[in-house]
Amino acid sequence: MKILLVAEYRDGQLLGTSSELINFATSMGAESAMFLVGSENKLPSYNGRIYLADSGQAGEFNPDGHKQLLLEVIAKEQPQMVVLPHSSYGWDLAPRVALALKAAQISEVVEVRDGHLVVPACNAKLRRQLKPVTDNCVVTLQGGAFTPSEEPSGTPEVIKVEATAAGAVQFHGYEEAAATGVDLSKADIIVSAGRGIGKPENLEIIENLAKALKGEYGASRPVVDAEWADQSRQVGTTGQTVSPKLYVACGISGAIQHLAGMKKSEFVLAINTDKDAPIGEIADVLAVADLKQLVPILTEKLNAL
Amino acid sequence: MKILVCIKQVPDMESKFKVNAAGNWFDETDLAWRMNEYDEYAVEQAVQLKEQNPDAELTVLCIGPERVKETMKKALAMGCDRGYHIADNDSHLKDPFAIASLIAGYAKDQSFDLIFTGMQSQDRGSAQVGVLVAEILGIPSLTTLVEFSYADGTINAKRELEGGTKAKVSCATPALVTCQLGLNTPRYPTLPNIMKAKKKELLSVPVEELNPPALLIETLQVAPPEKKGGGLILEGDPAELADQLIKILKEKTTALA
Amino acid sequence: MEYTREIYWNIGHDWTVLLPMYLLSFAAVAVVVNEFIHRVRVYKQGQPLNRIDNLPLRVRGMLRDIFLQSQVIRVRAPGSAHALFFWGFVLLAIGTTLIFIQADLTDPLFDLRFLTGPFYLMFSLVLDIAGVVAILMLLGLLVRRTIVRPAGLENKLDDAVMHTLLLVILVSGFVIEGARMAVTEIGTPLAAWSPVGLLAAKLMSGLEESALRGLHSNLWWFHLFLVVAFIAIIPFTKLRHILTTSTNYLFADLGPKGLLPTIDMEDEEAESFGAAKISELSWKDIFDADACTSCKRCQDRCPAWATDKPLSPMKLVQQIGDVAFHNPQAGLPETLGKDVLWACTTCRACQEICPAGIEHVNKIIEVRRNLVLMEGEFPGEEVMTAMENTEVNGNPLGLAYASRGDWAAGLPVSVLGENSDVDILYFVGCYASFDKRNQAIAKAFITLCNAAGIRIGILGKEEKCCGEPMRKMGNEYLYQMLATENIEQIRSYGIAQIVTTCPHCFNTLSKDYRDLGLEVEVSHYTEYLAALVEKGQLKIAPQSFECTYHDSCYLGRYNNIYQAPRDLLHAAGAQLTEMDKHASESFCCSAGGGRILADENIGSRISEKRAHMAAATGAPTLISNCPFCLTMFEDGIKGAELDNRLKPQDLAEILVERIADH
Repeated sequence: MKILLVAEYRDGQLLGTSSELINFATSMGAESAMFLVGSENKLPSYNGRIYLADSGQAGEFNPDGHKQLLLEVIAKEQPQMVVLPHSSYGWDLAPRVALALKAAQISEVVEVRDGHLVVPACNAKLRRQLKPVTDNCVVTLQGGAFTPSEEPSGTPEVIKVEATAAGAVQFHGYEEAAATGVDLSKADIIVSAGRGIGKPENLEIIENLAKALKGEYGASRPVVDAEWADQSRQVGTTGQTVSPKLYVACGISGAIQHLAGMKKSEFVLAINTDKDAPIGEIADVLAVADLKQLVPILTEKLNAL
Repeated sequence: MKILVCIKQVPDMESKFKVNAAGNWFDETDLAWRMNEYDEYAVEQAVQLKEQNPDAELTVLCIGPERVKETMKKALAMGCDRGYHIADNDSHLKDPFAIASLIAGYAKDQSFDLIFTGMQSQDRGSAQVGVLVAEILGIPSLTTLVEFSYADGTINAKRELEGGTKAKVSCATPALVTCQLGLNTPRYPTLPNIMKAKKKELLSVPVEELNPPALLIETLQVAPPEKKGGGLILEGDPAELADQLIKILKEKTTALA
Repeated sequence: MEYTREIYWNIGHDWTVLLPMYLLSFAAVAVVVNEFIHRVRVYKQGQPLNRIDNLPLRVRGMLRDIFLQSQVIRVRAPGSAHALFFWGFVLLAIGTTLIFIQADLTDPLFDLRFLTGPFYLMFSLVLDIAGVVAILMLLGLLVRRTIVRPAGLENKLDDAVMHTLLLVILVSGFVIEGARMAVTEIGTPLAAWSPVGLLAAKLMSGLEESALRGLHSNLWWFHLFLVVAFIAIIPFTKLRHILTTSTNYLFADLGPKGLLPTIDMEDEEAESFGAAKISELSWKDIFDADACTSCKRCQDRCPAWATDKPLSPMKLVQQIGDVAFHNPQAGLPETLGKDVLWACTTCRACQEICPAGIEHVNKIIEVRRNLVLMEGEFPGEEVMTAMENTEVNGNPLGLAYASRGDWAAGLPVSVLGENSDVDILYFVGCYASFDKRNQAIAKAFITLCNAAGIRIGILGKEEKCCGEPMRKMGNEYLYQMLATENIEQIRSYGIAQIVTTCPHCFNTLSKDYRDLGLEVEVSHYTEYLAALVEKGQLKIAPQSFECTYHDSCYLGRYNNIYQAPRDLLHAAGAQLTEMDKHASESFCCSAGGGRILADENIGSRISEKRAHMAAATGAPTLISNCPFCLTMFEDGIKGAELDNRLKPQDLAEILVERIADH
């Protein structure tokens, strides 16, 4: 089987998802090649061919242009599978390519089981095993689902592809997120502090854990009420409703308003001294411990990874 | 100006999900239904556009069994002018291409200036249908929008990328846009509009009359995910606990990726 | 000697006196009538509302409230002063009327004089005392208003005019009497029956008779002019309350307490819902503003006002009056202020204490109805989300409706869909169904009923939110949707008795649902269990403990249930220390009026203020019997950092630990 990987490049940088694509190809035991609209100066470590179009010519975001280039590469490589990250780039490009190829697209693959692609459904409450009926297919991979244990190595063989900037969509540059205010509703990882932190100074150990996990920190209502944390950090029905991939509840007993605001989290880790705290009901893991002891150790170990 | 907004009815994600007897989707008992969240942003944006262009005509389209009409009524109460219902008791078995083909089949003769869809559905999450519709119709599409404006045949918008970055993009109409969380705050329908919605045109067409295409994807199995470690209670020395937690985070989550 | 005096002494009783006197009096009355005709026209801008049904009951209530001053004296010090002043003033008015009857009616027509003999003596004495009491009370109130000045008491021109006028009328009356007595009565046995007049007479006894007569005659006319002025300005000043507040007693809301008008959702003609304009409130809402005396008792008790939120029930009512009289086209939500309207917890403390029978809460809800039903507006996005959650899953928390009955698994409870042969339907409510903390209360209630041999049924996933928070937030449409579905379910099982653990469910099912056709008897668990204990069917073994008790608004003020919970506490062995604000003066937890769904982001936290009040009793346990109160106190006690000395518990949790062997 041959797979064409479509790596992602933005604002002059290669995005880390390329290593997941490579790992996916490896785990499928497939031969692979890669397509990238990017720059010669930022190439992934990869033992294979990279079809490289210059983003200066093709434009970093140019759906029609990228689609055309990709179709040309596909025509050359004749892969059975085209793989993209399930990201804003993949969402946009994959269906265009799939339709052009008259191929099935299977989105957000999290696992390959018995050679079949598994995708989540209904907020990860169900999983579907799917099989394309078409000869070829387009696949997008859930971020993080195929993270390699070791970064790939090697130097790619670069094949340049000529590009034009033509397309129906115009791209006018990027806009960075404003620094003020936190939008927890879009955070993938949230570490929240409850009244169990005891005093305002201890909020720092929660913040540190959030940093170690590259997430945001949040707080329960009593912590916000006591003005230990800013209102914008409040998780709950009267604060922000969140749906991160990982929610770490530190010293939060789990008042109903709080639970209702974070119940959509995919994985909940609770750290609480009370084994019977309501948070235990919805936590995937409840570590019965004093957060003031456990969290700093956990943070240290995470930073050491 | 003619506008189309495509919506889907989905189960509330809080529901208890059980696999159906055929093993190809969920069982519908005990489910609560609502409008796909992303489609609510689409409806809201379409209604705002209609308010900006009072002569505009806004159609809402939905595919599914009889029950989806309830969700269509909400869209009508929010401000859509008429409904087009593709009656299909097996819509849950269709793949994104089939759904997109049905929509495009309806839209192709209607010369819509703008088509709004959600960027994905909450139950399937394929994020394909909107783009596929545009590609089938051969019109440009802008995806995952968090800002939208329209003037004189041009859409100016912002796409949401990862990490809080946005891309500023534009294109000419006719075009299709897919709507992301954060685009707007969908309105709460007012009572007079709920009353009016009950009298608006809601045309229902059986899917059989529309020649849906053959499926591209076969569903082999639907099952709940294996337990992530559900309700695991860990006790013991903090240092050991920390190691155990890191192991679990690595295995069960993508947080340490 | 004949005990009497010459009426119109020194003034004369011919047409030169009578004509101007009666002309002036008629003119004053004409001014009053004319102005009230105008005001009635303003009242009539409002929607019709029948408040003259049940007339005998209404008249009795009005006479009681006026003459016993029963509403006014509930706030002891200023209330008693007002009552005493009022009674003094009424006696003086009666005295003056008797004089008029004798001098201008019975004497000239029938040669009949009744102000003679012992009756005249009593008449003199009573009026003298009445006058002096009125003066003293007026002075007392004046001191309170100008020197003590309790927070929130506003002094306007009205108050100055009113106090001065009354004081001058009363004092000049005694000077006139003194001057007359100095000439005619000093030294006679008659004088002792007018002790205050006699004192005045003695002070003036050094004057010549001619000077006394001159003074008397001038002052008499002056006094007359003042009284005429007093009458004429009644409709234009706060003196208006003499007529409007009294009349408002007649128009009182006869209950059930706190019932909201049910909007007819089938009415195809209706174009607008709730009140955005003054014409969409009722005439009584406008009249209420005219009955307000600015006593600020409502404001003193408002939990929103006490925590620096912009709502003052008094100012709100007065603003409605301003709009009605001066700017009838103004938009109510904007004029009153949206933050003001959303701040209300519908705790009813304002309405309960109001000595003028003003109905504050429903005015607020009528305007909220307009905001929600016509504009789709809420106090915040979190409230809109809660509404949408409720539409989908039947609970504001957005949890799966199918899991509503999960808490009862394994307990001795029947789900009615499976077995409807039960003694009572326990209407669980959202918080006891989904919140672990409140599930403990539901389970305790089940255990208590089980011990008493009561078979309990629940609706399980067929139960929906009762709709109370939505209704109080103004979302009548959603409320009726929920209520209709609940009623249909309850009816289908032929239930004879419903018990709730939530006072909000209780109030809604027992009152609001009546309008939609639910007839079943509904009890709150405190009354239900108290009756079981009384009958001996439920035995509680007392174990001594210290606590304080929080009267929830919807059990207390809305339903007058103050005793049953205290009886149960007593049965459980409680050493109860009451908070200063308890029973009908209880201070809301902050969650009523749909505020349970909303952020409290203006001012300080109401629940923390209440937690401090509870902590001040020194009791280690704060007992309540409402899931909203318990939820608020769990947070409020932590927020106030009192969690090391105060623990919130529900009454059911206390009882379940004390079930005696049956």
